[in-house]
Amino acid sequence: MRKIGFSVLVCIIFSVSFLAPVFAVDNHIDSSLVSEENEEGIGDFEDDPFAEESTDAKIADPIESFNRASFWFNDKLYFYLLKPVARVYRVVPEQGRKSVSNFFSNLATPVRFANSLLQLKFTDAGRELGRLALNTTVGVGGLLDPAKSLGMDKKEEDFGQTLGRYGLGQGFYLVIPVLGPSSLRDGVGRVADSFLDPMTYVLAFPERIGAKAFDTVNYISLDKDTYESIKKDALDPYLFIRNAYAQRREALTNK
Amino acid sequence: MFQIRMAAVFIFLLMLFSFPFNNALAGEPTEQLKTDVDNIIKTLNDKTLAREQRNQKIINLIRQRFNFPLMSQWILGINWRKATSDQQEKFISLFTQQLENTYMGRIEAYTGSYAENNVKYIEEEFKKGRALVKTLIVTESAEIPVDYKLSETKGEWRVYDVVIEEVSMVSTYRNTYGEIVDKEGFDGLFTRMEKKIEELKNSPAPEQQPT
Repeated sequence: MRKIGFSVLVCIIFSVSFLAPVFAVDNHIDSSLVSEENEEGIGDFEDDPFAEESTDAKIADPIESFNRASFWFNDKLYFYLLKPVARVYRVVPEQGRKSVSNFFSNLATPVRFANSLLQLKFTDAGRELGRLALNTTVGVGGLLDPAKSLGMDKKEEDFGQTLGRYGLGQGFYLVIPVLGPSSLRDGVGRVADSFLDPMTYVLAFPERIGAKAFDTVNYISLDKDTYESIKKDALDPYLFIRNAYAQRREALTNK
Repeated sequence: MFQIRMAAVFIFLLMLFSFPFNNALAGEPTEQLKTDVDNIIKTLNDKTLAREQRNQKIINLIRQRFNFPLMSQWILGINWRKATSDQQEKFISLFTQQLENTYMGRIEAYTGSYAENNVKYIEEEFKKGRALVKTLIVTESAEIPVDYKLSETKGEWRVYDVVIEEVSMVSTYRNTYGEIVDKEGFDGLFTRMEKKIEELKNSPAPEQQPT
């Protein structure tokens, strides 16, 4: 879910609409301000004192034509298959869908636990264990998330982040058909993580696909048309999502 | 006598230290931001206002809190200096229109599910005269971190970047617009922006869906 739904998740950028990057200002230029800022060099884009909190993450894209084709395919998959199914599926009350999401998330604990350990984040690893214990028992098999109300928040960790932690770059951008935005590094990470996914061992291949599809549809049903907003607002949705992906992965890796 | 002198010294020191604090009173960026965010939410939920009236009121609130010229400069980045002043002016004007129309779409699609207390103000940092205000939007189904970067002019803190879930708005625009300028020049970028503005003007509000 965290994987397929990622393009959507990453793009939450516009879903918080009225508080978010939507605004409008006077059409005329405040020339005094502009020139003043130039002289002081404040207008220099490298000069943001908070820049490290949102690094100008760039990602190489040598196979852009393949990626764009893949992006086009995923776009059609979203609009013609996943979204319509998710829309019908919304008859299930939100609380129920939230529980489904919790369940899959709880199931993926080994991935977060192992990758926390690999990055020597022992507190995080411990918290994941605590969450698993609490949510599986008190939380009725992972359907609820009582650990969160005790301040034990989930922290996304995966092998792509682990590799990044040890200095490995993204390589290049890669849009995987069906699965969505990724990179050489994160793509390798997904394969590694799949060995830590309990579903790999419990379910046969077709069942696993079914489970993943269910997880994805459930995720989309909870999302508030984020992807639609990006398609509508961005000059080039492909570039927008590519950059948002790079920024978000960079931030997650540094956390 | 000694006590009076001590008191004088004390008052002098107090005055000395209080000057810098007066200029950058802790909490000021958050206070100013919060006032406008609260007002926007209040206006959005105000059923007594006519649609036009409501939209205009919100646009005005946003106009006063966002530093548009600075934002435009940051978005063009190195291209800002390469651009002629005509191009700079045109960019600011187009970017304004594009976001204004995007924003109108958002308002139209608003379903009225937020309240002031959905926004939690986590912390405030200062660096080199700029401020960073970290907030968290809390809803039943998600918690979304939204950080605002502000700069100050004449006592007014205005937003020049919004970072949502670690994704900086200015960064994203800079990257995508920069790539378009590299490939298609300023004219290419302006044509695309004009086309997008038309699209946004003519498109109906996105359909409202329950979640």
